[in-house]
Amino acid sequence: MSSSRRQFLTAGSLGFLGLSLADLLRAKPMGKAQSCILLWLEGGPSQIDTWDPKPNSAFQPISTNVPGIQISELLPQVSRRMDRLSLVRSMHTRGSDHPQGTHYAITGHEVNPAMQFPSIGAILAKETGIRNAMPPHVLAPQWEKARQYEDYFRAGFLGPEYDPMCIPDPSKPDFQIADLSLPKSVSAAAVENRQGFLQMVDRRYRKLVDGAEHAQMDGFSAQAWKMLLNPGVREAFDLSKESEKVRDRYGRDAVGQSALMARRLVEAGTRFVTAAGFHSNSWDTHAKNDEGHRDRLCPPLDRTLSALLDDLKDRGLYDSTVVLAMGEFGRTPFVNNDRGRDHWPNCWSLAIGGGGIAGGRVVGASDAEGAQVKDRATSMGDLFATIYKAFGIDWTKEYDTPIGRPIKIANSLEDQTGNPLAELF
Amino acid sequence: MKGLWLLALATVVWNAEPVAVRLVPSEFRLYRAGAAQQFVFAAEYADGSTRDVTDAAQWAASSVAGTVSESGRMTARWAGAVEVTAKWGRWQASAQGQVETAGGDEQFRFRSAIGSILTKRGCNSPACHGGVKGRGGLKLSAASLFPLDDYEWIVQGGAYQVLSAQAKGERKPRIDRQNPEASLLLQKATGAVAHGGGKRFAVDSDEYRTILGWVRRGAPFGPAEDETSRVASLEVYPRILSLEKAQKHRLLVTAVMENGRREDVTAQALYLSSDKATAGISEAGVVNAAALGETSILVRAAGQAAAVIVGVIGEPVANYPAVPRQNFIDEFVFEKLRRLRMVPSALSHDAEFLRRVCLDLTGTLPPPGRVEEFVRSRDPKKRERVIDALIGSPEYVDYWTFRFQDLFRVAMFANGINAKWSQMYGEWIRESIVKNKPYDRMAWERLTAQGYDGPTRHFLPYDVIGSPEETMAEEVRVFFGRRLECAQCHNHPYETWSQDQFWGLAAFFGRMFKMGDTGNEYVVFDHPLDEAMGNGDVNGKIQVLHPRTKAELRPTLLDGKTVMATGRENPRKALADWMVQHPYFAEATVNRIWSEFFGRGLVEPVDDFRSTNPATHPELLTRLAEEFRRSGHDLRALMRTMVVSRTYQLSAEPSATNRADRVNYSHALPRPLLAEVLLDAITTVTGVEERFTTTVTAAGNVTQRTPAGMRAIQLREPDVFHSRFLDLYGRPNRLALPERTGKANLGQALHMLAGSIYNEKLGAPEGWLQQQLRGGATDASMLQTLYLTAFGRPPELAESQELLGALAARPDRNEAWKDLVWAILCSREFAENH
Repeated sequence: MSSSRRQFLTAGSLGFLGLSLADLLRAKPMGKAQSCILLWLEGGPSQIDTWDPKPNSAFQPISTNVPGIQISELLPQVSRRMDRLSLVRSMHTRGSDHPQGTHYAITGHEVNPAMQFPSIGAILAKETGIRNAMPPHVLAPQWEKARQYEDYFRAGFLGPEYDPMCIPDPSKPDFQIADLSLPKSVSAAAVENRQGFLQMVDRRYRKLVDGAEHAQMDGFSAQAWKMLLNPGVREAFDLSKESEKVRDRYGRDAVGQSALMARRLVEAGTRFVTAAGFHSNSWDTHAKNDEGHRDRLCPPLDRTLSALLDDLKDRGLYDSTVVLAMGEFGRTPFVNNDRGRDHWPNCWSLAIGGGGIAGGRVVGASDAEGAQVKDRATSMGDLFATIYKAFGIDWTKEYDTPIGRPIKIANSLEDQTGNPLAELF
Repeated sequence: MKGLWLLALATVVWNAEPVAVRLVPSEFRLYRAGAAQQFVFAAEYADGSTRDVTDAAQWAASSVAGTVSESGRMTARWAGAVEVTAKWGRWQASAQGQVETAGGDEQFRFRSAIGSILTKRGCNSPACHGGVKGRGGLKLSAASLFPLDDYEWIVQGGAYQVLSAQAKGERKPRIDRQNPEASLLLQKATGAVAHGGGKRFAVDSDEYRTILGWVRRGAPFGPAEDETSRVASLEVYPRILSLEKAQKHRLLVTAVMENGRREDVTAQALYLSSDKATAGISEAGVVNAAALGETSILVRAAGQAAAVIVGVIGEPVANYPAVPRQNFIDEFVFEKLRRLRMVPSALSHDAEFLRRVCLDLTGTLPPPGRVEEFVRSRDPKKRERVIDALIGSPEYVDYWTFRFQDLFRVAMFANGINAKWSQMYGEWIRESIVKNKPYDRMAWERLTAQGYDGPTRHFLPYDVIGSPEETMAEEVRVFFGRRLECAQCHNHPYETWSQDQFWGLAAFFGRMFKMGDTGNEYVVFDHPLDEAMGNGDVNGKIQVLHPRTKAELRPTLLDGKTVMATGRENPRKALADWMVQHPYFAEATVNRIWSEFFGRGLVEPVDDFRSTNPATHPELLTRLAEEFRRSGHDLRALMRTMVVSRTYQLSAEPSATNRADRVNYSHALPRPLLAEVLLDAITTVTGVEERFTTTVTAAGNVTQRTPAGMRAIQLREPDVFHSRFLDLYGRPNRLALPERTGKANLGQALHMLAGSIYNEKLGAPEGWLQQQLRGGATDASMLQTLYLTAFGRPPELAESQELLGALAARPDRNEAWKDLVWAILCSREFAENH
């Protein structure tokens, strides 16, 4: 409890973030993990061409640096770092089209128009709280199109303070974060002047009508002002602070630079970052699946994921950062008329490690063609429970919605609560 | 004359004699010997307050038909007429009644004998075994709504599962017929074995003896429930109660049976106070006022729930003024305020009224010229005239199209993923608003839509026909203001909605189908029964199955009436006919519209009508619904009734007696402008348009901009037109439940300081500010215009002196003005409607 006194002293300045003193003094989760990076493989990778090689893949399996684990030859660099990632080869989920599948993968719930479920990022932000004045939940890059996907990553009834801050593509030369630095036309002195005018203008009205909301807005304004003046926050978003070598190593495209951004943010204090650089290079290979995986999808994944694993290790962040690479589902074990593979939520694979979650292990198994789960079906609730456990969060927790419906934070199939994957601890 | 009215004072004399007394109920009928009726002796005072003097009165019965206790409870003995009389000081009141015994003695029934104990002792409350999945392996229905289920769970054991009809886990009977004393039901409730819910009654209690006797007799269920035993509704007297601190008042709870008989269940009901610090309640149903404020008391009995609003009132207001009343809204609102001893605020000033009514009716700020003209006018009817000019104006049409597009969820991805269709659907709404289409007609068209018409497109979220249960829950939310989704998987935890009722309604949407062969063009229809449509998918054998029992469902209305589908008939017509005539329809609609003008619903949240979420003004809600029906569901007439009321036109400035009030309309409630309205207002003040862009277009990767002059409230596909501003200020996601939060947040604060909307518009050369500065306008005239535009009022003398002084002190005039306009846009006075 030696830190409680300090928390007490700083508590006042956080009150307007909607966090009460009680929230702050409540024991924080005591897991190894402090942050999580989701490398979002939008569109859904083919499990047999990535983590779960099978004879019906056009590609050969290769050995990894963990005896007994083989992955696709399309991921050679990751294969040399297999000891830092574990594989789940028995994911069994819901939603066979992108909106439904994405919603399910990110919230653990099927789409229900009557309810906006909180995403796992929003839940982690709520459970772990703000570090170093950094926004706790970030998504990069935001969608240029199809913005309904972005809604799935939001906080729903938990409230806008846990919504992801969605930022543009950090690989673009004109990359800039909205609202995190003053426009060039506005000096710090101008802001002072503006606040002065604001007080004069609003004095009459505030005297006339009472408003708890007014004090709340003032609190947010003070916090915003602090963020704008805090170089640490702005610098966290500034990729130019990285060496050219590191930037190259991650890859200069949206995939690489989003992942690098994720590492910078996590290092600065952000809790959950979705690195979603595959928007414009989707894994949705309904045609020419093999060329897609070989030429445009696996190479950036292999490069960026291994760069991220190395970088986290080098900077001492690997043990406190959960890395999760997954899409919304897998792909059919058979090819269609366009030599493509279609959506497949029945059985698919993902990679996870770091933040106290063991690497170099395999959970579950698929059948001979990677079509159905053969062993240990794993639900999204089990995956979420695993991540919560790494953070020291009680995964059996339920939130009550405003109308009193209990919502599991680790929702498994058939209204069950997920269980952490014991093999990974 | 008006002045005299305001000066006229109603006399209230503290501790005065009552003006009237009465017994509640004033008439009664008991159906067997042993049946009981509780009475309340109510003394009514000139200030509208009522005191319960039951315990202080002398009670007597006029015949041997019954006896009456000291606390006003009559027990029936013999058949015959009887008059119950109570005397209190020099006051006397009586009630006439009849005892009938032809029906014989009471038959044992599980619900009334055992279920009522489980209710009274809280065993089946939603927080315990009455929860959706029960607790500790025992599931009971809330307040014994489903006695047969409860009976099975107690006698045979087993617990409810959400997605399956199979009981979960080991079935463990809760009674022991061989050894009745060892019944788990008794052992748990008396604390003889560990019980998470603690001790509920003692071994030496009536409850214990009743249950033990029942098990000894072999634990029968009794005769099946029928219309004489099933409870249709619960009535509580009084529905609204105002008490001074430390005063007590007894509640009366009456069950109305399906056959219309009334039965006093005051002694069997369970009472819960939502806020014990304000008012507590005893097991016998006596409210005890503790501290100033308003709370509700929840009453559960016989499978039903009801609520009473209790206001704990302050000192009497000396010289309570007579407040003029404009229409029936004021009668209800001011009468309650009087009883709560709060004085309504003064009438709003003209400028305050004009800004408010323009924003509420049209989402648009009044132009400066109109403000000055209105304030100057001496026409005594000017408020009505401006209301009539606003209702039906082009801005009114835009604004209400926008409001109903929110409610009806117009969005590209919600309407078939095709901008053409969201446009079509939005256009159907716009035309309905233009023509002031009767709202029941509008609802009917949306519910029954077939073919290619606008409203058919709302059945196509993500370009597929929505599932029957989701579509039904959405229609019920929109038109009945009720959230039924809970009942999709289980009986509603707080309400009498059952899962069977839910699926019976859902089945009306079970045959919906889309079909078409020209690319993306297709029609929506209801698949004929037993007829192939040549699409190879189905031949009319479309079934909706109950998710737990897997039985086929027939379209069934809430009252249990099944609508047999025939051949090609659209089954949704029968549903729509029934829905628009149901009392829920008008109530939900007037409540929704009310919230648009008063900042909260009479029932709040507006989509959450339930017996446990009472209206603040139940009679007003009923009356508004009646008037709405009588007008032919005329939305414009309804809105006019609201905005001409004095209640609507009160000032936002609180008075000494009403400062704390948030729910009784004693003063106007300031509320944040809707995101779109705020953005349009910023556009108006700065004179710089907002152009929205999207890259989701028919042409593919082309960025499309909204046309010049298009306002934020006119956007039909909010899901594809990106706007950081609108998202930050609470634009809802129309693909899900379109709830607006509008709450202050950090993002808004950052955006104000650094965002484009608040900064770029100030320096834009085409904008109002730069034009004025270039044109050589004086600071004073600019300030005047700016205040009139943004706040709908001129600056006060002190304000203009201070601001003009501050402007003059700055070396750079352009910068100074940009800072001032920024401050106005960021002020609460601008961002709120008040």
